Amino acid sequence: MLAPTNLDKPIVDTDLQREIEHFLSYEAHLLDTHQLETWDALFTEDGMYWIPLEFGQEDPLNTVSIAYEDAILRDVRIRRLAERHAWSQQPKTHSTHQVTNAIVTAYDAGAGTLTVQSRFHVVEWRKRNFMRQVAGGYVHDLVKIADRWRITLKRVNLVNCDGVHDNFELFV
Amino acid sequence: MAEADPTWVERLVEPARVHKDVYTSQAVFDLEMENIFGQAWVYVGHESQVKNHGDCWTTQIGKEPVVMTRDGKGDIHVLYNRCPHKGAKLAAEGCSNHKPMFRCPYHAWTFRMDGSLVSVPHKHGYDDTGFDVDDPNFSMKPVERVESYRGFVFCSLSESGPDLKTFLGGAVTSMDNFIDRSPDSEIEVAGGVHRVMQRSNWKIFFENLNDTGHPIATHESSFLAARKTSKHKLGGEVPFQLHIIEGNGEPPEFWESLDLRAFDYGHSFMTAIFHAPKGPVSEEYKAALDKAKGKEEADKIVAMNRHNTIIYPSCSPHTGFHQLRVIRPISIDRTMVEIFTFKLKGTSDEYWQRTISYSNIVNSPSSTVMVDDVEVYERCQEGMNSDGMEWISQHRGEGRDNVMDREIQSEGISEMPIRNQFRAWSHYMMATPASIPGSIGGES
Repeated sequence: MLAPTNLDKPIVDTDLQREIEHFLSYEAHLLDTHQLETWDALFTEDGMYWIPLEFGQEDPLNTVSIAYEDAILRDVRIRRLAERHAWSQQPKTHSTHQVTNAIVTAYDAGAGTLTVQSRFHVVEWRKRNFMRQVAGGYVHDLVKIADRWRITLKRVNLVNCDGVHDNFELFV
Repeated sequence: MAEADPTWVERLVEPARVHKDVYTSQAVFDLEMENIFGQAWVYVGHESQVKNHGDCWTTQIGKEPVVMTRDGKGDIHVLYNRCPHKGAKLAAEGCSNHKPMFRCPYHAWTFRMDGSLVSVPHKHGYDDTGFDVDDPNFSMKPVERVESYRGFVFCSLSESGPDLKTFLGGAVTSMDNFIDRSPDSEIEVAGGVHRVMQRSNWKIFFENLNDTGHPIATHESSFLAARKTSKHKLGGEVPFQLHIIEGNGEPPEFWESLDLRAFDYGHSFMTAIFHAPKGPVSEEYKAALDKAKGKEEADKIVAMNRHNTIIYPSCSPHTGFHQLRVIRPISIDRTMVEIFTFKLKGTSDEYWQRTISYSNIVNSPSSTVMVDDVEVYERCQEGMNSDGMEWISQHRGEGRDNVMDREIQSEGISEMPIRNQFRAWSHYMMATPASIPGSIGGES
């Protein structure tokens, strides 16, 4: 028997595929243009932002993560970036996101839930000659509320999640 | 300062200031690798990281790659991680299991978990060559000394010197409290390891660990942000996850009221900034501790509430949140910090998840608190490279330390722990391995 979702063909129609790709591009656009409050509003009230530390990490509660942030912790990060004495943001970090290879891997039209996996490449610039590259895969769990897609979980799978890292100041 | 002058190291450290070369000179760094990391007891890992026969954990002691192993009898060994033949590292990076023996990936020499050579292929090729299976020169080399303090494994690359317990001195109370906080008096490494690279000298990080003068200035952005989140989003409520961010914004009187204690060999600790949250998780934990140890003893254990303890020059336990930071100098201006979280046997999942949460929020590379520390360390490193000024001040509280027998106490905002580190540093740096004194840094 085949797996429930045979992904060699799209499981959603072209319109929905384009809508979801637009959503991912829009989310990245908000991050790169420093519209962080608008970005944060894409999450549901209990939505989570997660950067696992281990490959294939299943559990954010019993294993440490590079980031596991609810609405409260995301709010602190956003407010901190706006603080005058955020020393590590003098000068500010700038980022540019590319998001590609979007595949909708689960869709339940009745429940209004959808999972999309994609690849990202982020370049960050802050000072001197230190151009930083961050790359990996995203998994977005989305839910449709009042005709808008909202994020219940944004999972960021870094290609070097188990590495020795410099600071992550912004959201990836 | 000219390195040709034989007193050059001595002249780098004065009671209330040090010369910038201690952070920026390659000659100093090289001598530190030899005289400090080649002599002191350096933290290797915890016994729970090598639970079973053949388990290995690799790390770096100064310049030396080493591997901690567990043999079939249950004994722990620390070996230089190199094949005696061509030098290939025998254990891969991190955790691995090599039961029943190491097999070199290059020419298939095999070694027991204690490092002794089992055999080599093409035996006849070694006839009459001077090669001997029983000659230790053809086995993996054990480090000079290994000791475990209640499961915390340290090694010394020097054959002589104080034993581990003497070395730890008064800082051993933090190790004890770390373990005693478990109702079963047993702890284990669990939950993954955060790794952070700092673009600064290793000593800058050590100095910061008990630097009570920095939080209000350095962490302003995160504690103000946390307070605004509390006010605007939570109606003024301060849950645990915000408390451990906004606590750095305590007023000057708070920092002045802290107690700082320092010991021989550069160790010290400061009393706590953060307090365990109230509520059912803490209550359940305390009840379990009361039951296991008796209420009076349990009260004493939780009352010993400390922030960072410094075990110079390699690690820093945080007893209340059950984590151990391991500090590895990579080069003059690169330091790797690894953060290990420990599970206390006999505690609930929710209690453990608080340890995980603390590490994510305060010590992860994405921490909104630590980013400003790391930035400031880097600015120090860059500024110290300037020839504009040569000396680094550590005057705060100088001359007001209360020197007792093998213990120094000072007021909360003193730079005493930093001066204490440099007392040890000077003694290490000026000693030859043969003349390392039994007591370092205590006789001020």
